Amino acid sequence: MLNVAGRILLELGSNRRSLVFWALFPALMLLLFGLIYAEGGSTGHSFDRTAPGILIGAALFFSCLGGPITVLVGERERHTLKRVLLSPLPPTRYFLGVFLAFCVVAAGQTVVVYGIAFAFGAAFHGSLPLGVAIVGLSVLAYVTLGFHFGARFARTTEEVNGPLAALGVPLLVLGGTFFDPSILPPYLMAAAQLDPIFHMNEALKAVSAEGAGWRAVADHLLVLGGFALFAALVGLRAYGRLLREEGGS
Amino acid sequence: MLLEVTGLRMQRGGQEVLGSLDFAVDRGEIYGLLGPNGAGKTTCFDILAGFLAADAGEVRLEGCPLGGEARRAVGIVPQEIALYPKLTCRQNLRFFARLYGVRGDAVEARVSGSLRDVGLEASADRPVAQLSGGMQRRLNVAAGLVHDPVLLILDEPTVGLDLASRLQIWNLLRTLRDRGRTLLLTTHYLEEAETLCSRIGILVDGRLAAEGSLEELRGRIPAAEVAGIECEEPTVLRERAEALGFAWRSAGDRTAVWLPERETLEGVAARFEGLAIRGLTLQPVRLEDVYREVIGHPQTPSESSLAHHAGAAVPGPQVDWTP
Repeated sequence: MLNVAGRILLELGSNRRSLVFWALFPALMLLLFGLIYAEGGSTGHSFDRTAPGILIGAALFFSCLGGPITVLVGERERHTLKRVLLSPLPPTRYFLGVFLAFCVVAAGQTVVVYGIAFAFGAAFHGSLPLGVAIVGLSVLAYVTLGFHFGARFARTTEEVNGPLAALGVPLLVLGGTFFDPSILPPYLMAAAQLDPIFHMNEALKAVSAEGAGWRAVADHLLVLGGFALFAALVGLRAYGRLLREEGGS
Repeated sequence: MLLEVTGLRMQRGGQEVLGSLDFAVDRGEIYGLLGPNGAGKTTCFDILAGFLAADAGEVRLEGCPLGGEARRAVGIVPQEIALYPKLTCRQNLRFFARLYGVRGDAVEARVSGSLRDVGLEASADRPVAQLSGGMQRRLNVAAGLVHDPVLLILDEPTVGLDLASRLQIWNLLRTLRDRGRTLLLTTHYLEEAETLCSRIGILVDGRLAAEGSLEELRGRIPAAEVAGIECEEPTVLRERAEALGFAWRSAGDRTAVWLPERETLEGVAARFEGLAIRGLTLQPVRLEDVYREVIGHPQTPSESSLAHHAGAAVPGPQVDWTP
C-alpha cells in the first residue's frame, strides 16, 4: 500500500505542472470568490464561507476524482497494469495505496486553501477533527468514484477530461461549490440532495464557517459515508473486471 | 525439471487454442517456444504468467502447482515495455521489488543486482523516458528479475528492436543463463531461438509439433546441406533435382534442395548445369528449414527478418555464388 502510494507521489512530483495547477486553480478561485462575496467589506466572513466550497469543489474534485482516473488510465496505457495484476498485491491494497496518495495531495491542497483564507482573516470555527473527517470522507468518495470511472470507462487520457468537465462541473455548481445553495429553486434543491458534493460542501461549511458539531452534520456524513462505501464496492468490482480484461487482452 | 507443463488445454470462442500441450523446462536452460501467429504461443505465455486460467492441464514449478504464492517464484517480462517512464530505473525496480514482497535492505541489494545484471548501473538514476529503446527493453527484463525468481518468462523480448539492440538483449539473456537463471521465451525470430535456446518447442495449432535441441531438430531434415537456388525456370530445376534423387522445398523465390552429402558450390552448380541459375547458396541445415517443414507451409515466406541481414547470427558457413 505504501509502495503504491509512494510511487504515485513520486510520479506526481516528477510532473510538477499538475501539482502547480492543483494548487493554483483553487487559490485563484478562492481569491476571486472571496473578494467578490466580500463586496468591499470584511474579507474574513467572506473567506470563512468561501474556503470550504473551494476546497471541496475546486481543489479536491479535480485532484482526487480526476487523479485516480489518470492513474488507472496511465497504468493501462503504459502496460504496467499487467505487471501489477501478476504481482501478489491484492486489489484492495492497490486501491488503498491510491487513496493514501491522494490523501497526501488533499492535505497539501487544504493547507494552500486554508492558508490563503487565514491570510484574509478567515478562521476555522468548528472541531478540527470533524473537519478532517469530512475532508477525509470527501477524498474517499472522490477517489472511489475516480477508481470506478477509471477502471470502467476511461481507456485513454483524452477520454478522461471530457466526461470530467461535462458531468463534473454541473455537479460542482449544483453542490453549492461557488455559492450558497439556499438560492436554488426547490426542484434543484431536491436534485442537489442526490449530489454527494452538496453534502461535502454543506457539512464542511457548517463545521468550518459556523462551528457546527457532529450532530448537526450527521445526516450529511451518513450520506457521504454510504456513498463512499457504495463507490468503493463498485470501484473495486470495476477494477477486478479491468484486470480480467487486461489479462485476456 | 524446473517447469512441467502437462495436458494444457484452452478454448476461446469455441475454438481450440491449445490442445493438450506438454513440455518441460530444465533448470539453467533457455527454452524457446516458436510458432506461427495463432499457434498458441501467447495463450501459453498468458497461462504460465497467470493472466489466463487453462481449461485443463497442469503447470508445476519445482514439483508444486503454479498458482497463488508460487507465482512469486516466476518473473514475467511482457512483450510491451511495462515501466513508469517518469521514474528513474532505480525507482521503477524498487517499486516492482516491493510489489513482490521484497523488503528492507534486500530491496536495494536486489535493485543493484538487477541493474548490474542488465548493464544499466550507470543509468540507474536516469528517468526511463530518457533511455534508448534497447535500454528500456533491458530494464523491462530487470523488472521481471528484481524479485529473484527461479524462472523468467519472456514474451517476444526483442520484438521491434533494431539489430544492435537485439544483439544486446541476446547477450543479456545468455549472461543470465550463464549465471544459472532458467528462461522460457516465446519468439517469432528463428535466429533468436537458434542462437539462444538449448531446447526449442515448435507450436502448431496449439500442439507441440516438434521439440528438442537444435541438433535434434536439425536431424529431422534428411540432408547434410541445403542448397538455395534461384533459377529462371524453377519447374525445370525441381524436375532436375528429383531426377538426381534430391528432395526440394519451395522457399519464396528460391528452391531449397536437400543434399544428402556435403558438396562444393562448383559441384552443385555442375549438377544443375544448363539451367539459368541467378544465385546459389550452400549452407548447413538451419532451424528455418526445420521450422518450414514442421509448420507444414513450405511456401510461406521466411519469418526470419534477420536471415538476410545478419549472416553472423546464423551458425555455419554461408556463401553466395552468382554465375
